[in-house]
Amino acid sequence: MEKREFTVANEYRFNRSGPLRWIASHILRYPWLPAATALLAILVSVLTSTNSVLVGRAFDLVAAPGTTPAMVLRAALVILAIGAGQGIAQLVRNLAVEMLAQLVERDARDELYLSLLGKSLTFHGRQRIGDIMARATNDVHMLNLMISPGLVFIFAALVGLIVPIAAIPLNLRWDLLLSPLVFVVLFVITLRRYVRELDPVVTAGRERFGLMNARLAETIEGIQVVKGSAQERQEQNIFLENARKFRDMYVLQGKIEGRYLPLLVLSVTTAGAFLHALLLYRQGALTVGQVVTYMGLLRLLGFPTFISIWTFALIQQGVASARRILHLINTETELDENPQGVARPIRGEIEFDHVSFSYDGAPVLQDISFRANPGETVAIVGETGSGKSTLTKLVNRTYDVTAGRVLVDGVDVRDWNLASLRSQISAIEQDIFLFSRSIADNIAFGAPETATMEDIRRAAQQAQAHDFIMGFANDYRTEIGERGVTLSGGQRQRLAIARAFLTDPRILILDDSTSAIDSATEDEIQKAMRRIMKGRTTLLITHRLSQIRWADRILVLRRGRLVDQGTHDELLARCDAYRRIFARYGVAAPASDQKSA
Amino acid sequence: MGWMMDGLESDRYDRTYGDLNLVRRVLAYFKPHWKAMAVVVLAIVCDSAVSAGTPILISWGIDQVAGQMSNATIALIVGIVLAFSGMAWVFNYMRWRISARVVGDVVLKLRQDAFAAVTQRDLSFYDEEPSGKIVSRVTSDTQDFSEVVMLVLNLVSQLLMVLVLFAVLATINLRLTLVLLALVPVVIGLALSFRRFARSVTQKARRVLAKVNALIQESISGIAVAKNFRQEAAVYKDFQRLNQQAYRVNLIRGWTLNTIIPLLEITVGVGTALIVYYGGIVSLRGLLTPGQWYLFVQAMYHFWGPLTSIASFWSQFQDGLSAAERVFALIDAEPKVVQVAAEPVPKLEGRVEFRHVHFTYTGREVVLDDFSLEIRPGETVAIVGHTGAGKSSLARLIARFYEFQGGQILIDGHDIRTFDLAQYRRQLGIVPQEPFLFSGTVMDNIRYTRPEATDDEVRAAARKIANGEWVELLPNGLLTDVGERGGRLSMGQRQLVALARVVLADPRILILDEATASVDPFTEAQIQEGLEVVMAGRTSIVIAHRLSTVENADRIIVLRNGRIIEEGTHRSLLAAGGHYAELYNTYFRHQSLEYIEQARLLAAGA
Repeated sequence: MEKREFTVANEYRFNRSGPLRWIASHILRYPWLPAATALLAILVSVLTSTNSVLVGRAFDLVAAPGTTPAMVLRAALVILAIGAGQGIAQLVRNLAVEMLAQLVERDARDELYLSLLGKSLTFHGRQRIGDIMARATNDVHMLNLMISPGLVFIFAALVGLIVPIAAIPLNLRWDLLLSPLVFVVLFVITLRRYVRELDPVVTAGRERFGLMNARLAETIEGIQVVKGSAQERQEQNIFLENARKFRDMYVLQGKIEGRYLPLLVLSVTTAGAFLHALLLYRQGALTVGQVVTYMGLLRLLGFPTFISIWTFALIQQGVASARRILHLINTETELDENPQGVARPIRGEIEFDHVSFSYDGAPVLQDISFRANPGETVAIVGETGSGKSTLTKLVNRTYDVTAGRVLVDGVDVRDWNLASLRSQISAIEQDIFLFSRSIADNIAFGAPETATMEDIRRAAQQAQAHDFIMGFANDYRTEIGERGVTLSGGQRQRLAIARAFLTDPRILILDDSTSAIDSATEDEIQKAMRRIMKGRTTLLITHRLSQIRWADRILVLRRGRLVDQGTHDELLARCDAYRRIFARYGVAAPASDQKSA
Repeated sequence: MGWMMDGLESDRYDRTYGDLNLVRRVLAYFKPHWKAMAVVVLAIVCDSAVSAGTPILISWGIDQVAGQMSNATIALIVGIVLAFSGMAWVFNYMRWRISARVVGDVVLKLRQDAFAAVTQRDLSFYDEEPSGKIVSRVTSDTQDFSEVVMLVLNLVSQLLMVLVLFAVLATINLRLTLVLLALVPVVIGLALSFRRFARSVTQKARRVLAKVNALIQESISGIAVAKNFRQEAAVYKDFQRLNQQAYRVNLIRGWTLNTIIPLLEITVGVGTALIVYYGGIVSLRGLLTPGQWYLFVQAMYHFWGPLTSIASFWSQFQDGLSAAERVFALIDAEPKVVQVAAEPVPKLEGRVEFRHVHFTYTGREVVLDDFSLEIRPGETVAIVGHTGAGKSSLARLIARFYEFQGGQILIDGHDIRTFDLAQYRRQLGIVPQEPFLFSGTVMDNIRYTRPEATDDEVRAAARKIANGEWVELLPNGLLTDVGERGGRLSMGQRQLVALARVVLADPRILILDEATASVDPFTEAQIQEGLEVVMAGRTSIVIAHRLSTVENADRIIVLRNGRIIEEGTHRSLLAAGGHYAELYNTYFRHQSLEYIEQARLLAAGA
């Protein structure tokens, strides 16, 4: 069983060893639906062929001496009944397969979603949300289309090829099989060639369309740069070039589609069959009605011929989608719930012991060692990409170290029970994420069952959020997001701090990269942050000099290495990079007491 | 079976062009290809004729044999059937081949025109239209249009074939033909009434799908929060409930859409029975040969396909026209910024002068009224004021992104409206709050505003900003791929690239909208150093958000409601204690060293 961070009871297990097996296991979860579909598809084909035979018989009936209009009426009524039966069978077949298709879409989405919940944050950090959305929406829907109409049509085409041909020896003569069998052989050969030829062109066309679109979107979003530097001509040329590349594929696709050989094969073999029938008819070996039956049965072969133009593409796309979904589901995740691990209250001591970390083979952190005592604030400074956030993410096991150890209260984080560890560490991320729910629900997110309204209000007050919340028309019941209010960066941050107050963690990871553009908000955030950090061990990534200035310890990171650590005054005295930050304030190098400008 | 239903589901788009005008417009695009189109039409007609010929020949053959025909006649009939088959295939191939090329070319031209039109719009257009919509007009709408053209061709060929068949049938037996025709309104009525029903379930399905997508998008974007608080189970429960709901709605839609084809099949069954009965009766009287009767049965199968297509065709055709209309609307829109002349622009000194300028974006709220300001060559002017005071409007007018309604803007004493815009803008450097980068390398992006610059020039420009230290920190130096929209670089790094752009382009006038987004302290220090470099030796107009900028500016312009209410230096204005002093307390105080030093006390006092 694979490692996961989240599981549910009674989960249905699908076969994930390959896309085809996976699709099959999804379809076979409801065995009676594909079985009914198959049986009904055969029934439809049999009834259709029967109708051709009956129409032929009606011809013979009329040709025979002594036939009365009543007998013709009876023949027509039988044809009507068979026709209606065929329609009904087709209807039920469609309903069954549609249900199957929708069930598979639902289950596949469920399976994918559940597996996403179980993945580690390492995985999610690596995965672009756009890709995940494409899997969960387009690809899952492609599975649906692959089953209905894709698979059902392919099956119907197969049956529609076999049943009419099988009806020939049963109702007519063995030797009339000659042309239809020649057709089948040539059909398979030409169809294969067609699919092989068309496939790469369609794929290339789609890619080129995407390329054209992507560049266009970029140009339009960056229009100010384009116009501001008078580069319209350059952009027009790029667009024209991309559009022309797509056009070439479009034209090529039209050429290949126009050259669909199975159609020619069908009409030529039909001509051959007609010749054969005429000769036999002249000899008296066939009746008029039998010729009509024969030609009627051959006409039925048109259905598989026509729909093969596009159904195979659906299957191919479906399998490709299944492969992509499965790839996502099967991606290994490194962490698990570790239910047997250490579970106890944390005091708040953090130690990095020669920690190195690589991401996709590229070193991000190298040989980092430092220590934070319970209740201390450690500020981490460095350029974007120097490894600051990665460093903090090793503490709550968003990632695991590549070498060295991260210890919390002297115990390696990998030996902690994951739930116990994480529930005592609060991370306030750089991009504060709020759900499209009420403000109260967002604050109570970490403790939805236990938090009372009173708790929520107290947390908001601590986080300096109460006042602005009361400013909204529906105070704590105000919806956030598209349907509700839009919050500023500073407001979001204070809600996140309130969220953390409510769970009362021992260790706090604060990735504070929002900046207040006005001084009043800055005051509020200063207060909220000081309060939440008090009494908790805090790893603080911040752009606020006022926070860095007063941290118990400052780590200076550069390209994944710890270049220096110490207090503000120590660093000002000995670290060039650090001094440069304060250079524009005219802060002189050595410490002591002459700091104000 | 969705392909058949596509047209049955869509709404009619409200159009502003007359049908006739629109069709004329569309035809104009086909005009250069009229020869090819003539061949396509010819191919369609021939294809229809020979396709209709095959069943007719077979029916004829059946009747001939009854009269004991010779080998030669049989060979002739089969030979003609064979020849017709081959011809039908060739004509069909020609039709596809040529029409794909024509449509490909027409759409290419349409896209080119639409895109050229887009780039000619001024920025007020981009304010009104979300970028996604513009993109879809240029690519998707043109695509829809091409599909409709192919659809029309396809339908025309099917219809022609049915017409030929019916003409032949009518000469054989009029009454029987009428029986067949009587089914036409039934089939069309069925398809049309069904369409309304299908539309409502489809709308429901679309809505629920949007909800599911929104939920997945949100919960996966916020997965870190869910995981940090161990709330996966609650999130999963929400999802399951909605997923089940989506399943139910989609099933109803699927079931609805899947009933139409079997229903039509049943009508075909009814039709066949009718033809067999009436045909049989008439044959009994000797008025119909078996071959003719056969032809009627065949016609039954041939005609129901095009009929169901026609039912769905009209709305699809309307959609195609609407798509074309949206594209034409884009092409035809009048630009608002109008140059009265296109005089060449010599190397500018950099004097900028506003004379009694009146400006409004919408026509309702006046942004600048009787606004006058003179900026000397080489001066650094910081513009400060609350949001909505008109700071960005000043910058945009200098860049000639928007049209002003009254007064004059003079650059080096020349009316800005008389310039060749491209030449003028090449002497401007514009650094927006959030610099935009195109996919490609850092080097490509620095070079963007001056494509002819050599690699060495780019390198030199990059080095001038903060000693080029920032380049060393990029994983591949100047060759680092910046990703889509510059997403792989931090906001601070993007700003540094934008500054290097300015150094390389060496404009005479710099318009800088300072970033409000916060940047890590190291990068911030580099940006500060870079700013000093780019502002030196050119006229600089800065919408200021940084304390250091206002402190170092030659002159600060304080704006309120589109008017200059104070000007002077940082010291003099602060000492005066007016509006500037208030702005300082609101926006700049927390950037000062005093504030940094007192932060601890402030929080402790809370």
